[in-house]
Amino acid sequence: MKYLMFVAAVLGCLRLSAQEDVPAEWKTPSKSSEAYAAYRRKLTVPPYGLAKVKALIEKIPYQEDDSSPMSNKDYMALSLREKFTYHMIHAEINAQNCDVRPPIQDEEKKIFGQMADGSEESVWSDRQSKFMISNRDSVMALIRESTDRSKRMGANYKMAIVEINGREMIPYIIEVYNRDKKDRDLLTLLMLLMKNNEYKEFMASQSYRKLYGEKADYQSYIDFNKGNEDLIIKRATDYYNTIRK
Amino acid sequence: MSGFLTYCLQRFTPVLLMLAGVNAVNGQSSRLVHVPAGDYTLGRKGYINNPLRTVHTNGFDIAATELTNAEFEKFVQATGYVTDAERNKNALVFSPGLREFRWLEDTTACWRYPNGVTRGGIENKMNHPVTTISYRDAVAYCKWAGVRLPTLDEWEIASRAGATTTYFWGDDMMPLSTYANVWHGRDHLQADSTDGYMYTAPVGSFKPNAWGLYDMYGNVFEYCEGRLPTDKPDSRSVHARGGSWWCSKNSCAFFNSVDIGRVKRGASFSNLGFRVVRK
Repeated sequence: MKYLMFVAAVLGCLRLSAQEDVPAEWKTPSKSSEAYAAYRRKLTVPPYGLAKVKALIEKIPYQEDDSSPMSNKDYMALSLREKFTYHMIHAEINAQNCDVRPPIQDEEKKIFGQMADGSEESVWSDRQSKFMISNRDSVMALIRESTDRSKRMGANYKMAIVEINGREMIPYIIEVYNRDKKDRDLLTLLMLLMKNNEYKEFMASQSYRKLYGEKADYQSYIDFNKGNEDLIIKRATDYYNTIRK
Repeated sequence: MSGFLTYCLQRFTPVLLMLAGVNAVNGQSSRLVHVPAGDYTLGRKGYINNPLRTVHTNGFDIAATELTNAEFEKFVQATGYVTDAERNKNALVFSPGLREFRWLEDTTACWRYPNGVTRGGIENKMNHPVTTISYRDAVAYCKWAGVRLPTLDEWEIASRAGATTTYFWGDDMMPLSTYANVWHGRDHLQADSTDGYMYTAPVGSFKPNAWGLYDMYGNVFEYCEGRLPTDKPDSRSVHARGGSWWCSKNSCAFFNSVDIGRVKRGASFSNLGFRVVRK
């Protein structure tokens, strides 16, 4: 009898794990989830020389390889601020896309391990990444200035902060988050900065295991609630205090 | 009874088809597998790009393996063809240490040096799939060889080998490493050769599906012909299916029989290749 119960238990476990592997149907998310999904992916358009930069992008000749870098001559003639605008609104090289990701249910109730990607088929080129890293102080200042003006930090700005490892911006990121507590990708940004800088307190946490551990993937999330929100902000503040000069 | 009959048909039909369908190839070193005429279940319920549906085919012959460097070299030697990456110096390659979904621009990379000159050539990899070629390069090869790329539906029919699940063996990703050269590391910051290969593997190194087709979910993504509902009218993107040595379960779970990738037609990535179909 015990043996039979054991077998039944094992079969039950197998059945459960098999059920977990069955892919879920695609379902249309709720209106609030869809609205938040669009909000997460929104870019911020910097104002610096915007009309001039847009006109230059318009005249980029069609490349045979479908990439679209601005000519070196035009690029070098841009001021630092104009270059910032260019990089924030125009990624130069081809990206590879696996597939359209299934819609996420209850997106507004989740804090993800990865931020929403604002651009679809292009990514920053070496030239663009190098510019941001070489001018990281200016890039951080411009992101701050532009964010204060537009009252939000777009997906491209958050990605740029990861690109330049802008950990000095942690207090500002928290400040922006606390203004309306709407953009949970700001919490994700804090976690990515802690992760990329291998902050041990965070790496030993349950959140880290769930979001970046062995079984995590690009859709991994933790629930959005006051406890998780407070914990992320506290950890990020603690981390910032370890690096503050 | 009907359940038992269905079970038998599902289990044994693919094997019978495989036994009946494998034949020699004219002018190609890879075998062709014959996919018989019939109705096949494709897609998944609710998928925007690949809805659940039944598709009819009149049958086709598809290569058992991805096209190799040796086969592509014959084409280049015969025609003097210069690939997009060689002309435009625009290949996108991989080196351990990159963040997820990031690729390196490498002006030296092309099919002969798939990840750039410093990461080695293909002298000892002639039986590996050709990579670092664009969709246009793949089409040029096909034109010369008198073959064609599979359509999106044909690729899926072939990959499923009669199954209606995410993978040809079921919905569980677990057995993947038996059938596919993929990335097993947690991320791409450190090199991963745990399955014996960091980049490509010789074609057919892993177990085939029930119809004798190799590397459907790994080694390299494979260019296909066809458009998707989500393609913008003016889109110049093309599509590739399967999976590649770069793909990892932690990055995405899109290397299977359902999902369909997208790439610009002039881009040359070191994890993109193709397999051919008889015209």
